[in-house]
Amino acid sequence: MTMITARHLQKEFKTPVVREGRFSGLRTLFSREYLSKEAVRDISFDIGKGEFVGYIGPNGAGKSTTIKMLTGILHPTSGEVLLGGMNPHQERRRTVGRLGVVFGQRSQLWWDLPVKDSYDILAEMYGVRAEDKTKRLAQFAELLDLESFWATPVRKLSLGQRMRADLAASMLHDPELLFLDEPTIGLDVNAKRNIRQFLRTLNEEFGKTILLTTHDMDDIEQLCNRVMVINHGQLTYDGSIPSLRDTIGLPTLIRVTYRGSYHIPDAISSAIQITGAENQIVTVEVNRKEWSTMDILKQLEQWGEIEDVEMKEPDFEDIIHRVY
Amino acid sequence: MKTTSWFTLYKMLIRTSIRSRMQYKFNFVMASVLAALIQISEFLMVALVLHKFGAIKGWSLHEIGYLFAIMTLSKTLYRTFGNEVHHLEKYLVGGELDQLLTRPMPVLLALLPQNFRIMAGEVLQGGFILCWSLAGMMHSGQIGWTVIPFSLLIILTGAIILFSIGLATATLGFWTTRIEELQTITEDAARTAAQYPLTLYPKWMSGILLTVIPVGFVNYVPSLYLLRGELGAWVLVAIVVVAILSLAASLRFWKFGITKYQSTGS
Amino acid sequence: MLYFTLASKAYSRNLQYRGAHMVHNLASAMFGYMYACLWIGIGADHSLGEYGTQGMISYIAFTQSSLWISGFLTNGLGIPLTVRTGQIALDLMRPVHLFTHLMAREWGQIAYQFVYKSIPIYLLFSIVFSLQWPSEGSTLLFAAIGLAGASYLSICMNYIIGATAMWTTESSWLHWGNHAMMNLLAGFFIPLEWLPDWLERIAWLSPYPFLLYVPTRIYLGYENGSLLWGTLIWCVLMTFVCLAITQVLRRKVEVQGG
Repeated sequence: MTMITARHLQKEFKTPVVREGRFSGLRTLFSREYLSKEAVRDISFDIGKGEFVGYIGPNGAGKSTTIKMLTGILHPTSGEVLLGGMNPHQERRRTVGRLGVVFGQRSQLWWDLPVKDSYDILAEMYGVRAEDKTKRLAQFAELLDLESFWATPVRKLSLGQRMRADLAASMLHDPELLFLDEPTIGLDVNAKRNIRQFLRTLNEEFGKTILLTTHDMDDIEQLCNRVMVINHGQLTYDGSIPSLRDTIGLPTLIRVTYRGSYHIPDAISSAIQITGAENQIVTVEVNRKEWSTMDILKQLEQWGEIEDVEMKEPDFEDIIHRVY
Repeated sequence: MKTTSWFTLYKMLIRTSIRSRMQYKFNFVMASVLAALIQISEFLMVALVLHKFGAIKGWSLHEIGYLFAIMTLSKTLYRTFGNEVHHLEKYLVGGELDQLLTRPMPVLLALLPQNFRIMAGEVLQGGFILCWSLAGMMHSGQIGWTVIPFSLLIILTGAIILFSIGLATATLGFWTTRIEELQTITEDAARTAAQYPLTLYPKWMSGILLTVIPVGFVNYVPSLYLLRGELGAWVLVAIVVVAILSLAASLRFWKFGITKYQSTGS
Repeated sequence: MLYFTLASKAYSRNLQYRGAHMVHNLASAMFGYMYACLWIGIGADHSLGEYGTQGMISYIAFTQSSLWISGFLTNGLGIPLTVRTGQIALDLMRPVHLFTHLMAREWGQIAYQFVYKSIPIYLLFSIVFSLQWPSEGSTLLFAAIGLAGASYLSICMNYIIGATAMWTTESSWLHWGNHAMMNLLAGFFIPLEWLPDWLERIAWLSPYPFLLYVPTRIYLGYENGSLLWGTLIWCVLMTFVCLAITQVLRRKVEVQGG
């Protein structure tokens, strides 16, 4: 069953043309000319229940705009969105009550009050029954280690603590669908690990559907089974990570350590590119789509006695840059 | 969610807002006393003039004091509950409205309790001038005690009208983002104008103050009946109708404006 | 040279908001228009002394316009803010006297407000109400001196108010109190001679009349310029106070470390 359906989403922003010269401020106020910027051009996708999708793209590509359209904050210029069969633009309140949202840069908790107070308010807002609230908070407290700052005012929390509190807040009403906008931004390694573990549990154990936007490629690699890349307002890729690697076709790096001497023939296959040969170590780049691993190794064996082989897939970062 | 639970939630959010403020050594009583002093000095100015000249266009000092007081109290009621509408610009510029749009409740209901505060100084000042002017007029036999409950009524309708004007002006922010300059005209200037009898102004101006920016219905029009016996009792019904209509109109406009919300960059 | 730079920086900083300021001018003009309507209303039934209705309109027009150079200055010349951020310690350390430093900046601000607020508003009034311009050059000259003096006095007063921020966080009391005094004692809406006697006497004991009343009277031709001596005396007095306060400020910072 589809959790998120997006059809031909388009968003155009109209900003008035800033007039130059005298009284520019006033003339801009009255000008009828508009600069049209198409932040999102034509995006369509389906996300099924239980998927964990990464949504990435360079800054200004239209990521935030898409998320805001999906969550009902912005109305698309054209196209439609369905979340679990409901339209967030026509039935905002009902739809929004069924999803969880976390903005990495902004907290949804009440700034001056202890963390637990925010949960009380949110429970009231989303109509969460007292026993459910207690049960869920106990679960989250364990998974996210919230006990240590339960009574601390939100403004005194560290970034990592605040993020954990925000995550718990977003799941308090047990939504099936969770939107995360840069949840690991600015966090240290431990905090990131902790949060990734929580998200993994949400997805694998509780079957939550998650849409994650991030600039951290490790997030994507470790959590997502599917990635969508947006650039210039359009989807340039939508599929799994392995097939992304394949599509881009960045070469695999192989480091071969030879015992004793080796000899590289003059004529070697074009599928193998030698990028370095120092002491006993030869580094080559190969495209594994063109040649199978076995064939490549057979080739390398002919050059000398292999002591050790090390293979390195291209960095996910590099792949993404290619897609961008 | 039913109306009763909206109300429970609203009360809870108000309590939250107050508790948040208590966290700081916020001398909000002090601040509003100051504001009250300024407004009193404004009235004193006019009082001094009237002291010398007797009356303006046939309106006595007590009557003008009444106009002042009603306007002050209506505005205070509006700003106690609806202050964030007046300050919408900071939500638009900072993208803070996003947060409120993800909540399963009407945006206004989430927005308004954020800055709930008791404006003690203004209530005192307005109340003081109101009592003083009512006492003066009752003493001279101009009015009877029935004016008191009706005054409370028009303070309420006045607050609703001022709120509607504020909401409509704020809604324009969805297109222009910056609304503070406009607010000085639709809210501050219009309100100050209506503190004096509308007969002072040229027809075009009083026309505007009774139609586009209907501040005239906050205090002037009801005063014509309550203080001077002009028009008729139907005026009070008409005021209520005007209040309801302007509220409905501005709420529709607001709903429309939200669909045009552009948020910030990323 | 430094002072000129400070002033012109303050001036140009404002230029980008010209558009918004023009809209604000409209609002300001409306306030003035309302006050004028009030006097027209009063004038219909009463005699308005030596002014007459037209004279009162001119009075309002001039005072409303000159508010932007003698009334609406930067709150405490920005000192309360710098005290809150701790910047004040740095400012006092500079090789420039704090008073002249802040004053130069404020003159830039005043110059901008004169050009982009006072003048447009006054032009608007003079068109709408068909105001008379002064016929003699000396009138304009003396009025200009009066206005300059008024601005200077206002700078001093704001400086003093701002300085109190060093001792209390409630300096906003004084700021609002100052505004209230302006409303009542500076001839903001009523010419001072129409105040009750006791109040008029109090007013003349303060510098407030020299902010609005005196320049306006000179401009409208009711005074010759002899009142400017009063302006001068107050300016000198205020300067001493400001210099003294700076000394006290500096000592406080040195002792407390800012």
